[in-house]
Amino acid sequence: MSGLFEIPVLGIIFQLLDFLINVFTLNGVIILALTAPLALGALCGVMNERSGVVNIGIEGMMLASAFAGWFVAAVVAQAMPGSTPGPLFGFTVPLLIGLLAAVATGMLVSALHAWLSITIRADQIISGTMINIVALGLTGYFDLLLSQNPFPSAGTFSAFDPPGWLVDLPFVGWLFRMFLNQNPITISVIVLAVLLQIWLFRSRWGLRTRAVGEHPKAAETVGINVIRLRYRNVILGGVFAGLGGAWFTLDFGNLFQNGMTNGRGFIALAALIFGRWHPMGAFFAALLFAASGSLGIAIRTAPPPGQLGELLQSIPEQVLSALPYIVTIVVLAGVVGRSIAPAAVGQPYRRESTS
Amino acid sequence: MPRRPWWSRPAAAAGRTRARADRRSRSAWSPTSELTDVGTLNDKNFNEYSWLGAQEGATRIGAPAPKSAISQASADIAKNIQSFVDQKFDIIVTVGFAAGGDTIEAAKANPNIKFIGVDQAPCVTEAGDNDPNFGCKGDAAKLLPNLLGIGWKEQQPGYLAGIVAATISKSGIIGGVGGTKVIPAVVNYLVAYENGAKSIKSDIKVVVQYVSAAPDKLAFADPAAGKAFTQQMLASNAGMDVVFQVAGLTGNGALQAACEAKIWGVGVDVDQYVSTPDTAKCTFVSAEKKLKKNVSDAIAAIAAGKGKSGSVKLDLTTDDVGLSEFHEFDSQVSAETKKKITDAIAAMKAGTLKACEEDAFGGRKQ
Repeated sequence: MSGLFEIPVLGIIFQLLDFLINVFTLNGVIILALTAPLALGALCGVMNERSGVVNIGIEGMMLASAFAGWFVAAVVAQAMPGSTPGPLFGFTVPLLIGLLAAVATGMLVSALHAWLSITIRADQIISGTMINIVALGLTGYFDLLLSQNPFPSAGTFSAFDPPGWLVDLPFVGWLFRMFLNQNPITISVIVLAVLLQIWLFRSRWGLRTRAVGEHPKAAETVGINVIRLRYRNVILGGVFAGLGGAWFTLDFGNLFQNGMTNGRGFIALAALIFGRWHPMGAFFAALLFAASGSLGIAIRTAPPPGQLGELLQSIPEQVLSALPYIVTIVVLAGVVGRSIAPAAVGQPYRRESTS
Repeated sequence: MPRRPWWSRPAAAAGRTRARADRRSRSAWSPTSELTDVGTLNDKNFNEYSWLGAQEGATRIGAPAPKSAISQASADIAKNIQSFVDQKFDIIVTVGFAAGGDTIEAAKANPNIKFIGVDQAPCVTEAGDNDPNFGCKGDAAKLLPNLLGIGWKEQQPGYLAGIVAATISKSGIIGGVGGTKVIPAVVNYLVAYENGAKSIKSDIKVVVQYVSAAPDKLAFADPAAGKAFTQQMLASNAGMDVVFQVAGLTGNGALQAACEAKIWGVGVDVDQYVSTPDTAKCTFVSAEKKLKKNVSDAIAAIAAGKGKSGSVKLDLTTDDVGLSEFHEFDSQVSAETKKKITDAIAAMKAGTLKACEEDAFGGRKQ
């Protein structure tokens, strides 16, 4: 191996490949965990935008769900102390109730967005922005009230422990570890993305949803109830946002902090567009963001030895922090090509008979 | 056609635009206000305890409860200070090193308002303007008599934290997670932490890494990023068994990562065993500053007409910095370790022991 590294010029490329493989195999579990909130946010966006509703309020929906999940779980945990974790994923009653509360909150906030953008026909961008601002303000206020007397949370789900022989397999073991040695919400992300991909492109509901997002008038003429389908999809999209919020306070972390989503709802939107409004595309886009973020950290904190290390360390830190976005631009321009939104996205639908 | 109820009418058809006069009356005269660093008020840490100090100070001087503003980005700071100036507050507390420049400018423009800058040391030119190059030619105490910068010698508690970390580490590899290296307080803590650890075991490996390149939300307000960062640091430094967090909320994620990896964490600024109960079981000790007491005292001093100006650096001699209690881990600290800590405290008080070089922060004066 090391012989390859010493070839001039070309050697650097071998060193880089070696470094990349090391980083991704070592940090696979962390990368997939960080993919989860981005991918879940993007799936929420897929549900909304495929049926013709713009949703830039994902950030706020996730924040509200994160707070609700954390708060409800902590309160239930106080009320019934000593609940023992279940055999799988460390499920406890408080955590499950918290998870339900987070999902319900996601659906509730989505219902508000649906009402504003479908029935009231308000500007959908404004509705989403309003959700972001209100969620930040309200959760921050409640947290301020609660933080007078800090109390312990309900903890988190724990990671699934895959059998040792599986993760020790040569070459592919790290992939099993990456996808299986995870907390439940993180594991569910890939499953949800695959299911949604199939539903959207292989089912009657999917065909109708895409029709409503592309040409609602045509859909209405063949008997699809556009308003009802949009309502249903936007509210179901809230389930994903709710799960994304629960990831912050019940799955990956165990405490709520004001503004803790820190822009991930917007990165999710980028992943949605980057993935061309496909669930799997969005998942891989989110994975790419998380992986390049992790690579940026690895270069700064655990640089490879030798020439390559010197070369990589000469890159300013600011550039490394921006690595996910640089990768986006390169991939978007070079590989993905033009990404086309559903035609009717952002346009409130107006039935001809009632307008 | 029957009239549709209000909730199912589109906005354009609702036709109920209310032209409402701006009813915002002038709020009651309220003498103190606080402005947070980038991030959030209730961080269970630096900003929150400064805020508690401002509240306590207001109560002590018999003033109404203070108001607060939260800056989401560095660019908001000047705007938020101005809004407090316009509301005619008597005392304005700004929190965080990043607010220092804007506080100086505001103090110069409003000589009748008292400013307290937490974690700041006013550095001005001869004309009394903010000196972004940190030349500090002017005498801030004279040029800006209405501004007091409160700073702490973070290196002292940082050094003590290093002593504890080195004694509880079994592997001889310990870590530090900083928010960003452009904030002097963060760097002081961590440089002294390394020195303190090396004073116990000269061959100990201390890995110090910074989450963000800038003092942004990633550096101080993102626990998920802090946890992932720390996990990645633990993955690439096998055996590391103590993590000292100097990253505010982001660092609370670092403590979480430590708990999950079943290693020790060391808290920062406040006693994190108390302030973040979720990670108490692995928060061995915290490096503390007495934020609440010091801010409250500064406000009371102004009200009593004894307000200082310029900058003060609080340290061990007045017990304004130090280590927190060990709480339930007290039995795990040997008498020998405790003696080493008391000796180091005595030496630092006497001035014979320096926790770190005065200029640890890359040549910039504080």
